[in-house]
Amino acid sequence: MINEISLSHTLPKVFAGMEHDEPVSLSEVWLKELTFRRPERYMIEAESGTGKSSLCSYIYGNRGDYSGSIFFDGRDTSDLTIADWCRLRTHALAYLPQEMQLFAELTAMENIEIKNRLTGCKDRKWIMNALERLEIAAKADTPAGRLSVGQQQRVAIVRALCQPFDFILIDEPVSHLDARNNAIVAGLIQEEATANGAAILATSVGNKINIDITQTVKL
Amino acid sequence: MTGQSTVWRLLRHNISPGQLVGYAAANLIGLAIVLTAVQFYRDVTAAWDSDDSFISRDYLIISKRVNSLVGFSDEGSTFSTDEIEDLKSQPWVREVGEFTAAEFNVSASLDFWGRGMSTALFLEAIPDEFFDVKPFGWSWEPARDGMPQPEVPIVISKDYLTLYNFGFAASRGYPQVSEATIGAIPINLSVSGRGRQSYLRGRIVGFSSRLNTFAVPEGFMTWANEHFADNTDSRPSRLILEVNTPGDPAISRYFDEHDYESAGDKADNGRAAYFLSVVTGVVIAVGVVISLLAFFILLLSIYLLLQKNRDKLRMLMMLGYTPGAVARYYYRIVATINGCILAGAVACMLSAQHLWHVPLKEIGVGSESPWMAILTGTAIMAAITAGNFYAISRNIRRTFPHPHRSSTRK
Repeated sequence: MINEISLSHTLPKVFAGMEHDEPVSLSEVWLKELTFRRPERYMIEAESGTGKSSLCSYIYGNRGDYSGSIFFDGRDTSDLTIADWCRLRTHALAYLPQEMQLFAELTAMENIEIKNRLTGCKDRKWIMNALERLEIAAKADTPAGRLSVGQQQRVAIVRALCQPFDFILIDEPVSHLDARNNAIVAGLIQEEATANGAAILATSVGNKINIDITQTVKL
Repeated sequence: MTGQSTVWRLLRHNISPGQLVGYAAANLIGLAIVLTAVQFYRDVTAAWDSDDSFISRDYLIISKRVNSLVGFSDEGSTFSTDEIEDLKSQPWVREVGEFTAAEFNVSASLDFWGRGMSTALFLEAIPDEFFDVKPFGWSWEPARDGMPQPEVPIVISKDYLTLYNFGFAASRGYPQVSEATIGAIPINLSVSGRGRQSYLRGRIVGFSSRLNTFAVPEGFMTWANEHFADNTDSRPSRLILEVNTPGDPAISRYFDEHDYESAGDKADNGRAAYFLSVVTGVVIAVGVVISLLAFFILLLSIYLLLQKNRDKLRMLMMLGYTPGAVARYYYRIVATINGCILAGAVACMLSAQHLWHVPLKEIGVGSESPWMAILTGTAIMAAITAGNFYAISRNIRRTFPHPHRSSTRK
């Protein structure tokens, strides 16, 4: 269970030596003290190249190329073990990476099942329902590699929701979706976040997900 | 479709059957060589424990080299307590037995198809455990007062019988005799010394191919030396050694240094056994090297496979799969292949044993149980599998998506 995620003087190593230059100097995240709490809805606005995907990766723990610290409820994430990370990734942190990370040779359904069998969180009915809502139920048995980017994005969203979570990191979740699908996706994510009492951290360089934002942070 | 087989389908994607077959073949050859060598060595050396075989655990009878200087001095040709202790402390010596010589005069006469034969004789006694033949009733105790002394059993060297039959009897026109015949002929022993004389009956009860002497039970020798010998505290001039590494060059080196010589050609048999153990060692080493190379082939193959699947492994662990959960699939592949190799190698070893079983049986060597070889194979395979598992686990943990900052901070 994570109640708050705090960043303390965090800075991607690529920005080292540029502390007083833009975009670091204008950032409300890098080198600042910042805390994300649940069940808030955060929108992290960024320009391309300011490190928005890096931020998600730092919080999700799959990259460590930064200075400063990140804390989960006051615990330094540097101290977390592999087992800790595995537990968090199945029970506390949901993540939709920008590049989606679907297995191209597996079908849409298999991609979702491969996560769901770990957590045992959703039943097949819920998954089919979600796919139907996102209008990709017909593609359930199509290999992910043959889906359009927009379809892949929706499959990845369903997969990300197949777990209990306290924070959901969604890295440009609707970059390839139209306004209607954006609204459907936003609705689904908000429903699940509310059900889990979870916080949403969404990033965007332009096409924002249509959720009820409580705080916007400029990266 | 279950999620389980979905992961398997993902991870088996880059498996190269060619590489695995190559590994399996190489390791099978290596392991089969090792197991076959172990089994062959065990089968052949099984004879170690059975006496009288061509490769028997070796007995050497040693004495000091006779030269003109020591020829007449008793001290020079006998073994001192220190010398015996030094021999006992040698790593190749299992047991040392002393020949107790008769310190009195003995002559034997026998009536042989009407012809009387008489000869001066020497008798010796050695501890029972050094006998290759244990004739029935091999013991002697002096009679109680007034009773006639019991018959003295004698074991003589087989060589003497051969010498008589094919040398003496043939040239003199005497009849040749079998072991049974000679055993039926009573021998009259005349024992004298210290002004006493006694007549006893003796009988040849066995023929030894190990002992080149006229051997009598220790009980008789003790009694006779007490009664007839002038000097009861004499040192042995011959020793019998049981050695555990027959043919070990260290033995002949030691003998040369101390000017001892060993009787008979047992040392040559021993050398054959030593040669066999050296050859077996070389063969086992070759097998081990092949197995080791095969182990590295598999390791490389697995590394390559993990490398090719690196992205997938990373993505699975990004979803929350533990390194152990993904490694399990590779463990299963390795365990299956290694299990098949072990079974194959054991089958090879058993069929090879079947092939040499008949010719070996003809020279009196039976088959040993294959458990030792199977155990060796299992141990080797377990070690290889553990090595593979460790490599897989380490590699996958390195791939784990982790900040990897703790190592620099702690």
